[in-house]
Amino acid sequence: MEIAAIQTRGLTRLFGELTAVDAVTFSVAQGQFFGFLGPNGAGKSTTIKMLTGLLEPSAGTVEILGKAFTAASLDLKRQIGVVPEGMALFGRLTAPEYLRFVGRMYGLDRETTNQRTDELLDFMQLSDETRKLITDFSHGMQKKLALAAAVIHGPKVLFLDEPFEGVDAIAAGMLKSMLQRMISRGATIFLTTHVLEIVERLCSHVAIISQGRLVANGSIEELRAGVASSLPGSEASQRLTLEEIFLSIVGAVGQDAAQELSWLA
Amino acid sequence: MAGIESRADLRWGPFGSMARAQYAALASMRWSMFRNSQRTTRGAMELGARTVAFAFYFLFGLALGAGFGGGTYAIAASGKWELLSGLFWALFVMWQVVPVTLASFQEHFDMGGLLRFPIGFGTFFLLHLIFGLVDASTMMGGLCCVGIWVGMMFARPDLFASTAVVVAIFAAFNILLVRAIAAWMDRWLAQRRTREIVGALFFVGLLFLQLLNPAYWSSQKHPHMSSRTRAEGLRWLNKANSVQHWLPPGLAALDLQRSAAARPLAAMEAASLLGIYVLGVGGVLGMRLRGEYHGENFGDAPARRRAERRTRSWLLDGSGPMAAVLEKEARVLTRAMPLIYALAAPLLMVFLLSGLFANRGGGQGSISSFSLMVALAYALVGFTQLFYNNLGPEGPGIQLLFLSPTPMRTVMMAKNLFHMLLFSVDAVLVCFLASLRIGGWPAPAAIAATFAWLLFALPVHLAAGNLFSLNMPYRMNLGRITRQRGSQVSALLSMLIQLGVLGIGVGILVVCAYFHRLWLAVPVFLVLAAGAFIAWMRVLNSIDGIAARRRETLLATLVRTD
Repeated sequence: MEIAAIQTRGLTRLFGELTAVDAVTFSVAQGQFFGFLGPNGAGKSTTIKMLTGLLEPSAGTVEILGKAFTAASLDLKRQIGVVPEGMALFGRLTAPEYLRFVGRMYGLDRETTNQRTDELLDFMQLSDETRKLITDFSHGMQKKLALAAAVIHGPKVLFLDEPFEGVDAIAAGMLKSMLQRMISRGATIFLTTHVLEIVERLCSHVAIISQGRLVANGSIEELRAGVASSLPGSEASQRLTLEEIFLSIVGAVGQDAAQELSWLA
Repeated sequence: MAGIESRADLRWGPFGSMARAQYAALASMRWSMFRNSQRTTRGAMELGARTVAFAFYFLFGLALGAGFGGGTYAIAASGKWELLSGLFWALFVMWQVVPVTLASFQEHFDMGGLLRFPIGFGTFFLLHLIFGLVDASTMMGGLCCVGIWVGMMFARPDLFASTAVVVAIFAAFNILLVRAIAAWMDRWLAQRRTREIVGALFFVGLLFLQLLNPAYWSSQKHPHMSSRTRAEGLRWLNKANSVQHWLPPGLAALDLQRSAAARPLAAMEAASLLGIYVLGVGGVLGMRLRGEYHGENFGDAPARRRAERRTRSWLLDGSGPMAAVLEKEARVLTRAMPLIYALAAPLLMVFLLSGLFANRGGGQGSISSFSLMVALAYALVGFTQLFYNNLGPEGPGIQLLFLSPTPMRTVMMAKNLFHMLLFSVDAVLVCFLASLRIGGWPAPAAIAATFAWLLFALPVHLAAGNLFSLNMPYRMNLGRITRQRGSQVSALLSMLIQLGVLGIGVGILVVCAYFHRLWLAVPVFLVLAAGAFIAWMRVLNSIDGIAARRRETLLATLVRTD
């Protein structure tokens, strides 16, 4: 039996009386492009923080590449790359300085770090901005840099929290092709995003979290079949988009927003 | 937009109905923030610390105010009006210097966040003045002004109204000037080129001031030259006196002098000139605030000469996380004005204050035995933020420190080493400055004892600083010198620790000097240093555990963007 890249069992996180993530159990196979979806406040970022060691679970376990993962699992941390919610950038460094810093923090030698820094800056089209401080970067540039930093050490598992937010169409296309290349080379990617078209195009498997609970998990085809079986008209349901599947699962279908906010022009 | 049309009656301007509604909303928001902050233990501690700090400022201001009041009374009662300008100059210097010395310990509200709302420039300007009005300098300055007014009331009740007006205008001038200087400093020093120029000017200025000291002492050694120099000095003083009458402190004094001489028109002339100064400073502040109002970002970097790509070889450019953190700290420091400012400001104060020890003799037990220790202790004040909030400058980057496979102990160790290195440089500069100002070095035993004390003091501060950094972190805005959000608890406790460490040092020196065995202080300090070193190592060894426990608070505090 193949070892899962990511495996959670009963992952739970409480904030006081609020249960942000409630006994979430799922598995991501190695080499899978996994989309983790949910409405705002559903618990996506909390889950990704627990998976990457930024937040301690109240209950449950996380395994990465078959080994129990905690904040102190330094060897496992070398195997993962993360673009967290706040991007983890140091505003007063330049992009090459930051990438060199990250490379060395992940244990790369100086030569490899420098070489990869140059390659990544070229790839991310940031090589003309090497003297600019990160604080002066646009949001999209910061996202690209955060992604470059997440992959500089060649992680086997990549966690991306909203990586395409604020990134222009050209850069987004470039990033997508990079991520697909990583998948073809055996890496595992765990992605959260609100852009469902991207998930539909890139991800082979999807999990949906709502109000802290995992409400769906499987391949997109499996989810489509599941939703289709509950809808009348099998022919139309075969063409369901991920957005329709998502809305159907999280229970937002049928809400008539037009009748609200009548004062809006 | 029906809602907006229905409120067409709203009047704009800083005192219009719209602005008043916004002031009310802001006041309500600040009140809610204050109330919500009391939900946590830390918030309650912050309130306690702030209360203590403000009680201290108030009492200090009250004492100063009594002094100014007494001075005014004596001058007015004796009719020596020419001395009054000295009083106003003293108040002016105090008002402008206090914010410099307390910059690290005061909380400020960042007005930039309000720009998303439909706020007029007048409202923005007014809010900038109102928020943080109850700071240490305004409180102390205000109390001094009240002191002057009361002193005058007792000596010359007939000048009650004119004194009130002049003192109020003078206070307005000082408030606006403090704000204008801070705002422009933030702007200028946000640019790398200006930082370099200001840094160079600062050190040239210090060197220039050094020349005054040997000149003064050499004049003391040659009395015949001294009298000539004195005459020359007096001539310059007279010239300066004629000029200072045209400057705000001199004008305030002149106004009162003329009022006392029953020359109301002449007094009004001086008051009007003072008013023009107020308008001028207000205009200077307004120019700066207009830039901010139009969305200027302090993070704006200067124009680059060209997009070039090169790999600089650094002294610290070794492999490994320790070298990486050392290099990062060095790079961030060179671009972080609040930190550079915090390090440089004590040098200036050491220069000014070490004059107190000047020419007091170098023998055992003399006051100069303590001079280096006190000067170094003051230099340590500049390291308060670096030692006691060493994760504060990381911002969102703190996440990387938790995500990377480098233990937090290594990160903190590298930071501590960097700060020690930095302090060593600062200490050499401080000793150099202090010795030049004092006009010689203390006795060798005092020097040795001071450095032994430093071996004790540094590990104590590093150990305590690491604990504070993990337990009471606060985010620093590296693009600004003023208007930082600090932690009063951290500031107060760190000051207490600094005073304690200095107290131990001075206490041991005093005892040893009393028994004429100053050298005995060296082994005592070395024993203490060994204890402090062990404590520092123990703290470092426990860093990973503490960091893991405090991880969520650290991330929540440092990553937030509000």
